[in-house]
Amino acid sequence: MKMIFDWLDDRSGYRNLLHEVLYEKVPGGARWRYVWGSCLTFAFFTQVVTGTLLWMFYSPSAQTAWESVYFLQYQVWGGWFLRGVHHYMAQAMIVLLVLHLMQVVIDGAYRAPRELNFWFGALMMGVTLALSLTGYLLPWDQKGYWATAVATNLMAEVPLIGPAIQQVVVGGVEYGHHTLTRFFALHAGVLPAMLVGLVVVHIYLFRKHGIHVKEPRPKKDSYFWPDQILKDAIACLAVLLAVVALTVYFHGAPLGPPADPANEFPARPEWYFLFLFQLLKYVPAFWGAVIIPVFLALWIFLQPFIGSTRPGHQLNIGFWWTLIAGSVALTLLAFSEDNANLRHSAALEEADWQAERVLSIVQEEGIPPAGAVTLLRKDHENRGRNLFAAHCASCHRYNGHDGRGYPVDDAQSAPELAGFASVEWISKLLNHEHYISEEYFGGTKFKNGTMARKVLAKYTAEETALLPRIATLLSDMAQLPYQTPLSEDEREELLALFYNDDLVFQDGLACIDCHDIDSEDEGHAPDLTGYGSDEWTIAFLENPEDERFYGDENDRMPCYGRDGKLTNEEIKILSDWIRSRPSE
Amino acid sequence: MSDFNEEESSGRRKFIRVTTIGISAACGIFPLAAGIPALLDPVKKNSGESAKVPWSKVAPFASLPEDGSPAKFEVVQETVVDAWTTYKDIPVGAVYLTRKEDEVIAFNLKCPHLGCAIDFRKQTNDYFCPCHNSSFALDGSVTTENSPSPRPMDTMETKVEKGQVWIRFQQFRPNIEEKIPLS
Ligand code: FES
Repeated sequence: MKMIFDWLDDRSGYRNLLHEVLYEKVPGGARWRYVWGSCLTFAFFTQVVTGTLLWMFYSPSAQTAWESVYFLQYQVWGGWFLRGVHHYMAQAMIVLLVLHLMQVVIDGAYRAPRELNFWFGALMMGVTLALSLTGYLLPWDQKGYWATAVATNLMAEVPLIGPAIQQVVVGGVEYGHHTLTRFFALHAGVLPAMLVGLVVVHIYLFRKHGIHVKEPRPKKDSYFWPDQILKDAIACLAVLLAVVALTVYFHGAPLGPPADPANEFPARPEWYFLFLFQLLKYVPAFWGAVIIPVFLALWIFLQPFIGSTRPGHQLNIGFWWTLIAGSVALTLLAFSEDNANLRHSAALEEADWQAERVLSIVQEEGIPPAGAVTLLRKDHENRGRNLFAAHCASCHRYNGHDGRGYPVDDAQSAPELAGFASVEWISKLLNHEHYISEEYFGGTKFKNGTMARKVLAKYTAEETALLPRIATLLSDMAQLPYQTPLSEDEREELLALFYNDDLVFQDGLACIDCHDIDSEDEGHAPDLTGYGSDEWTIAFLENPEDERFYGDENDRMPCYGRDGKLTNEEIKILSDWIRSRPSE
Repeated sequence: MSDFNEEESSGRRKFIRVTTIGISAACGIFPLAAGIPALLDPVKKNSGESAKVPWSKVAPFASLPEDGSPAKFEVVQETVVDAWTTYKDIPVGAVYLTRKEDEVIAFNLKCPHLGCAIDFRKQTNDYFCPCHNSSFALDGSVTTENSPSPRPMDTMETKVEKGQVWIRFQQFRPNIEEKIPLS
């Protein structure tokens, strides 16, 4: 063994090199505040290795990016873990960058003779941010797609060449295959290579000038090995454990629904860019894209010179603290504004719903070559809620929202439809108090119609108690997919009540006097034969002004089929959706 | 006294060294370790019980030459899953079909040697693989001595139903004597 090493040393001189590397002097002894550089190197190393492994699974194109990430996340053994480590280590890197920067600034390690290294550090910070920006898009989910669109639109703010830069980066005018291939090449090739080069120079320069120590020295001088390395290693281990903990806790990195330019999503960048995002609410885009970055770059360039005097150094420290405090404040503001915004949380919930939905469809039928986004686009459940939101929700509600969870600005002027035609829904409808409330007909002219004034309002307590049984009868006709049908006997019994055969309704009138069930007579109130069934609902949506339904009593309900507002297919989808088990 | 101190400090130094190396090694190996399961995923997926090979409809029985000479057909499978993509009705390979009374014999187009496509030679009425010159008789058996192919052409299960030929299409491990399906 020793012979082999001797031979190797003779030919390469590795022992000298190792000695040099390990026995670097640490003036003033090993300290915890020196660990950040090593942690960053470790984090970058992790990203290179996990990134290369991820590369074996990733396929950059508009039809395969999301799909390949989905496959890694849900089908590949331990894929979620690999992806999670890469994702959370990227975030850890940002935190470590800030810590490293602040340590350098506070200790004054950016001043002569270390200016050059400070600038290199700043460059590396820029490359790291570019890495996270490009990485954010690669899964090609809604979040990455919409947020990156904002980021690339900012590029167009650069005077003269801005639009050209944007087109080069995006690979065209629209987002597509070439956006992904370019971002991927940047993320996995160009930027890491730059960073490797910069790290080498950075470490070389660091070694040249040695550790910057604050006087007076706290302890005796010592060597890099093993004292400082032990501290570095422990810090790296702590970073690693934190990343593993986050990965396990969140079961890897999130994956939203597949990117769809026609499916709106509130663009938000990763949390460490939120301050910039928030800033753009107050300043013009030109400031955010050009003036502020240029100012920052200039300031960073000048800092070593400004810091050569004591007040200058204080100013520099103050500058960074202000910048950090400002960013934290803006970030918190961005979070709290989003939290207070009902539409925003609804949009996030909607995206979660879509993500889950697409997963369950994929499990059932797999992903077609055209990509997973097509599954969601033709999914009836997804289309049903979107049709409801677009055509019904300005008057009706679904659990109080627009069918997708968004709050509606207009006042409710037609019945709540979650659980439409279910026993519970009809029971409530037949209750006078609910009937005239906004939840049902309070916003329509039926509030003052015969049914409300002359029928429901007149019932005694005993009679009112019978109404849920009528509801059971009606609901049975709806044949809702999630309710069990009545037996023949039960149905007969309830029909007797509907006809008021036993004269339990004391005014002697029966529902059948106005509403038909299975009869030829045309009562003037809506025909309830097959009420709420597939056929009935479709016919009603097509033309509520038909004699069978409201006739000329109709109050503003559009005739979707008769007037060609919706296709037959859309009406069917809508009907199925309204008649399906209500979700939250 | 001083001896004791030195011993203690050298013990402590050793502990520091070992701990440092240990932790550094753990951190260094971790990124690769995080991806090992994912990397080995294909091996794991292969070792499980393979799903039953599906039947694919190939051609009408009537389209096979009556004299028992072979005809080449594409095999279109109803569902083919490649990683994340599910394809519907796409070709997965080709076969030679020959009539044998009411039944059909199917040979995989791929040579059992190293997977080149086998030709049917009309003049000599046999099969020939142009890659390394394996030749096979019409019943699939190896005809040349020292044939590169270690086994006869690969047959697959077939059936005829309502005038249509169906096949359980499969690929097999190349270049071994035994015929072992790949799946
Ligand atoms: S592959 Fe056919 S003979 Fe070698």
